[in-house]
Amino acid sequence: MRNRAGLWYSVTIRDRHGKVISRERRKSRSMLGNWYRILYGMMITGCTSMVHTSGNSWGTCYLQDNWDFRGDADMDYKSIVIGTGTTAVSIDDYKLATQIMQGTGSGQMRHLASTPGWPSIVGPNCSFLTSRTFLNNSGGSITVRESGIYCRCKGPTYYGYACIVRDVFGTPQAIPDGGSITIDYTLGITA
Amino acid sequence: MEPQLDYRVEVTDKDGRVIAREEGPSRSYVRQWNELFHVQAAQIYLGGGGTVKDTSGSTCADARISTVTFKSNAGIGETNYGLRVGKGSTPVSINDYAIGNPIAEGTGIDQLEHQLTYFTGPSVVGSTLSFTMQRSMVNHSGATISGIQEIGNYMMFSCGMYTRFALGFRDVLASSFSIPDGGAITVTYTLKVTA
Repeated sequence: MRNRAGLWYSVTIRDRHGKVISRERRKSRSMLGNWYRILYGMMITGCTSMVHTSGNSWGTCYLQDNWDFRGDADMDYKSIVIGTGTTAVSIDDYKLATQIMQGTGSGQMRHLASTPGWPSIVGPNCSFLTSRTFLNNSGGSITVRESGIYCRCKGPTYYGYACIVRDVFGTPQAIPDGGSITIDYTLGITA
Repeated sequence: MEPQLDYRVEVTDKDGRVIAREEGPSRSYVRQWNELFHVQAAQIYLGGGGTVKDTSGSTCADARISTVTFKSNAGIGETNYGLRVGKGSTPVSINDYAIGNPIAEGTGIDQLEHQLTYFTGPSVVGSTLSFTMQRSMVNHSGATISGIQEIGNYMMFSCGMYTRFALGFRDVLASSFSIPDGGAITVTYTLKVTA
């Protein structure tokens, strides 16, 4: 029997009163190639090619910052991110198709802080959860269709950020003005 | 799609002829794999309380971010990290922290000479990215070494100001392998992910 390793995500939508109005929970389709490119660099304490979220082919090398996906409040270039794109996931995706940026303007959402929780062991499972909430104070409804994780990384010369996970939702999620969307990613293994 | 880990084991005689082979899906990453991912993802610094058990069975209570987290490219004769084989047959548990009964480095009885753990670079074929890691261990003990039944990978990490080693994944083989004198065993793991 094959081991189980991978990502699961859940999406929770709340209205302006905090009431849950929609929820989606499923196995993540997509830990991307960039996750494994960073892993390769770490395992060999060397470098390999990789495209950063900037679109630059800056590569990735072993670095203590690698995989850092903590997110400060208002930060839209690292941690869990969301978007409106529907392009099918590809192994070489290097960013979301159409990212929703930080802010309160039209089509923007406020990004709250996020940090990975500690791993827990339950039976044959070891997992940890990363969660982030985005608030819609734009004055209108925003439909979210994709999410992902951007992490810190560095190539031979330049620091940057890598898209290591991207998922297109099974159901587009409309966030009413004053409402929020919370994305939970769980990285788990089962022996 | 989920990430996948597959293994292949080949035993060759002194003439390089393959005399036994087994391949299949790996059963098991173990907890240290995820705990070290967490150390990096959450950027646990010195004194941050990262907890990872090392291959000696000691629990490091100060596992921290490092440039060597996951380092597995061991050199010749190095057995603190890199791919290992052993004679244990205890089923894999999420709490495993070492190979059950590891084969030591050397040319004495029941010892193997460990060659490099080396990697092929990531490549994309269709919607799958993969890379491999491989190590050969040569038997110059003067006798057949039998009962090889487990394989796994030891990885480097930083504990406070020190370097430690942790088990990342371990598999118990379906068959027990014997390596004739002058022969070798080669273990290959393929790490891959499909979008």
